[in-house]
Amino acid sequence: MSRESDDLFDCIVMADDRFHVEGYREGFNEGTRQGMIDGRKHGASHGAKLSMEVSFYYGFGITWKCLLQNNVDAKARKRLKALESLLGLIQKFPHKDPQFENLQEDMEKVRAKFRQVCSLLNVPTDFSDYVKSGGSGGMSF
Amino acid sequence: MKDTLALVQKFNAHPDSRCWYVAWNPNGMLLASCGGDRAIRIWGREGDSWECKTVLQDGHQRTVRKVAWSPCGNYLASASFDATTCIWKKKNDDFECLTVLEGHENEVKCVAWAPSGNLLATCSRDKSVWIWEVDEEDEYECVSVVNAHTQDVKHVVWHPTQELLASCSYDNNVCVYKEEDDDWECRATLEGHTSTVWGLSFDPSGQRLASCSDDRTVKIWKECNTGEGAYAGWKCVCTLSGFHGRTVYDVAWCPLTGALATACGDDGVRVFKEDETADPDQPIFFLSAHVPKAHAQDVNCIAWHPKEAGLLVSCSDNGEIALWNYQSENI
Repeated sequence: MSRESDDLFDCIVMADDRFHVEGYREGFNEGTRQGMIDGRKHGASHGAKLSMEVSFYYGFGITWKCLLQNNVDAKARKRLKALESLLGLIQKFPHKDPQFENLQEDMEKVRAKFRQVCSLLNVPTDFSDYVKSGGSGGMSF
Repeated sequence: MKDTLALVQKFNAHPDSRCWYVAWNPNGMLLASCGGDRAIRIWGREGDSWECKTVLQDGHQRTVRKVAWSPCGNYLASASFDATTCIWKKKNDDFECLTVLEGHENEVKCVAWAPSGNLLATCSRDKSVWIWEVDEEDEYECVSVVNAHTQDVKHVVWHPTQELLASCSYDNNVCVYKEEDDDWECRATLEGHTSTVWGLSFDPSGQRLASCSDDRTVKIWKECNTGEGAYAGWKCVCTLSGFHGRTVYDVAWCPLTGALATACGDDGVRVFKEDETADPDQPIFFLSAHVPKAHAQDVNCIAWHPKEAGLLVSCSDNGEIALWNYQSENI
């Protein structure tokens, strides 16, 4: 009798703990699932943005290269050289490896090269839909 | 203190505005100043005093932050918050705007000419440093854009003899660049300051670089070559701390005497001298002269005259320029 009452009480006393563990497990599974979805979405949109930016530079570079490649004057040579260098950087870019450790660094190099190319071509860099801007708002001294 | 820093002349250069920067031309006959009034003023010596010779007013839409003379003295470059850099050509006593360099996304903070006169560097709040090449026809072409800093780049300075460029930033670091296969690359990042680095100056030989910061210190960096042709970078060999009450905005190493002057946010101007007997790898600097209230407001810039040893110029937030005569027992 006393044993039975022990078990009965046990069941009540431990309920808190049991539900806690069960709840944790269910919550964890649900969280994992949700996190996976959010992460996928975030990664996809981030990856798409980066990819769109790089692809834009690539298309820009190829087009200008086609326009200039038959010119032989010194100025066009210089521009072509910078374009080749931009295209080279993009081709080297490991766009299939999101965990590539120099991703940010290499991306900065591509952006810098693109800006130099624009300057050489006398093209304004107002492609804000595609290009990440280096500046930020606020005061400046 | 046996050494003295005496006021020679003080004048209001940019009324109701800040005077941001002053620069001597290579022969020291002219002084260029720029300010918040969007103007550049050229000053020349008339007898015992310095008088305004020319005002360059229509080049910029916003504050002119820095000016730089080309090594030949025939060109003046001005960096402005309107995101452009103007190149002015000297014609007798007047200047004409030759070209406008565009490309930075926002405020251009500094401009500097390489000792050869063939290269120009600019830096901006857009975090980038640009290197421009000048050809015989006065055409400017961008040879490189470098994104080595993670924040606003405050200042750029060239090595006195080599094609080596240094920059400093709001990211607390100093970067040193060299040309590598037609492109300029950051070869060394000098970490040590704990806040914005505002100014840089090479010593006359170019072996050392002084940096000044919002952390109220000045650091001396020495190039360390370990042989083997490898580029080992720069090492901090000395930190001047405890001397400045506020942000140190500028530092200048005198090309003639080796004295080191600073411009400080506590309104003071200071001159430091090096203890010649100290170990070159552990230099010691001592405060040689100090004018506590050199200006009524922040001192923004300090520059040694290129020919007259001891002649120093400073400028301030209240629009004034002051000329000082530094005398040391063994100068």
